[in-house]
Amino acid sequence: MSEIVIDNITKIFGEGGAKPFTAIKDVDFHVKDREFISVVGPSGCGKTTLMRMVAGLETVSRGEIRVAGKPVKGPGPDRAVVFQQFALFPWKTVRENIVFGMRSKGASKAERDKAVHHYLTLMKMEGTEDKYPHQLSGGMQQRVAIARSYATDPGVLLMDEPFGALDAQTRTIMQEELVRVSKDNPRTVMFITHSVEEAVYLADRVVVMGRNPGHIREVIDVAQTRQAEKWSEEPIDDVMEKSSFTHLRGQVWRLLREQMGDDM
Amino acid sequence: MNRSTLTGAITVVVVFMLWWLLTSGTGLINPLRFPSPEGFASALGRIWSDGYAGGTLMEHIWQSLRLVLIGFLTAVVVGMPLGFLMGYDRRIEAFVNPIFLLLRPIPPLAWIPLAIVWFGLNDASKVFVIFVSAFVPSVINTYTGVRNVRKTLIEAARVHGATEARVISEVYLPDSAPMIFTGLRLSLQASWTTLVAAELVGAFLGLGRALQTAYRDVNTSMILVTMVAIAIAGAITTILLGHVEKRVIRWRATT
Ligand SMILES: Nc1ncnc2c1ncn2[C@@H]1O[C@H](COP(=O)(O)OP(=O)(O)OP(=O)(O)O)[C@@H](O)[C@H]1O
Ligand SMILES: [Mg+2]
Repeated sequence: MSEIVIDNITKIFGEGGAKPFTAIKDVDFHVKDREFISVVGPSGCGKTTLMRMVAGLETVSRGEIRVAGKPVKGPGPDRAVVFQQFALFPWKTVRENIVFGMRSKGASKAERDKAVHHYLTLMKMEGTEDKYPHQLSGGMQQRVAIARSYATDPGVLLMDEPFGALDAQTRTIMQEELVRVSKDNPRTVMFITHSVEEAVYLADRVVVMGRNPGHIREVIDVAQTRQAEKWSEEPIDDVMEKSSFTHLRGQVWRLLREQMGDDM
Repeated sequence: MNRSTLTGAITVVVVFMLWWLLTSGTGLINPLRFPSPEGFASALGRIWSDGYAGGTLMEHIWQSLRLVLIGFLTAVVVGMPLGFLMGYDRRIEAFVNPIFLLLRPIPPLAWIPLAIVWFGLNDASKVFVIFVSAFVPSVINTYTGVRNVRKTLIEAARVHGATEARVISEVYLPDSAPMIFTGLRLSLQASWTTLVAAELVGAFLGLGRALQTAYRDVNTSMILVTMVAIAIAGAITTILLGHVEKRVIRWRATT
């Protein structure tokens, strides 16, 4: 069981200093075990900050975050992060990068070899195991970064705009892959994105955040519609043309647009 | 043979022919100012087999090389860990950095008189001065390299469950390695410079001593022979270091 309990947290940067800055205020949210959550919101509303706190890379100022019932004290292999900038180790080969987190968990050589084979096949990257990251395209690097996090077999997967740097085509392939991989091997996922389509397509629930200071504006349920309309059995382009999809997308859009209005 | 080695070989041949033409060939240059190839060869033969300034060429080279290696390696063995700790831990940085800022502006050669007073005119005083000159670049570059290790990579290691020992050996060290090796190259160069200067001031054996003697004898051929020997000895150590670097930073060799 890997549910995330975000228990009424507030984040103040530079607290006690001359210029404290409240990035997040009173955010209270529960991500269920094996639920896929998308987080959208205007730039600077604290999406990354929220995710970094769940990862244990940032402290919370008030409140508490619990993962699988345990308060988060720091980073750990139970919560793997896919960073926007890939963050692959340049001095490690594809194989070494993928098994990095598995080694933390003491996986045997056989298990590691199996995982490398499994993920490279899954991501259509056979034959690249001995290449270094700089020999790969951006899209391939991103897939390796995702494989590294998946292979760690975390209860919770945290992804911060993981497809942000990809071209439209690669992005679509990666989105479909993520849906497939998630179906084969469901985890608790927190997925940050700027793309409303992506958020609605991937998530069970979409969290729309607002800013000044960062808070949760609304949570929109997608899972019911997806199951009723069998989204995961069709290609992404077709799904995006369904009225059930455009309806939800419009709902998220309106909420975001109201956010922009707040600024004026 | 690739193009750059070919160009290099041609350059060497042309320079050599020009040298012969200007000295022995036309007599334009007085051998007292600059030796001819024949003068160079006979000086080389003399120091190689009969010896000069208290030793044969190999004895001089070995003496100098030994001091450089001892001074350089001691500086690296002490300097790299210190630089690492300064870059890794803010408290150590805050404590050590001021001491460094005070000592850094002192040119290494300015330590020679004090070294002689402390250790006498022997190997120990030379090793000490080499140590001082090689120490500073080792520390500074390791410190800078570790300080600039990419934070996202450290975080990537931590969120994939790496212990601190793994974060150090698999992120800090490889990410700072290029900078550390830059420091080692600078240290090595400084070691040779300092050694020759220290031997010029006073030594019984060594390339600097041979150079000093040749200067007193106004023997330009011998001066050139020792200069070339210093250059070759320095180049050999630099190449060795380059090989170590290539083995350590393998992921870059493919770039
Ligand atoms: N270390 C920090 N110190 C001070 N302020 C910070 C720090 N990190 C983030 N902030 C501030 O907190 C707010 C939220 O930042 P965050 O990076 O979480 O936004 P975001 O929602 O991820 O934005 P984007 O969509 O542009 O990535 C911003 O105003 C930012 O300037
Ligand atoms: Mg962000």
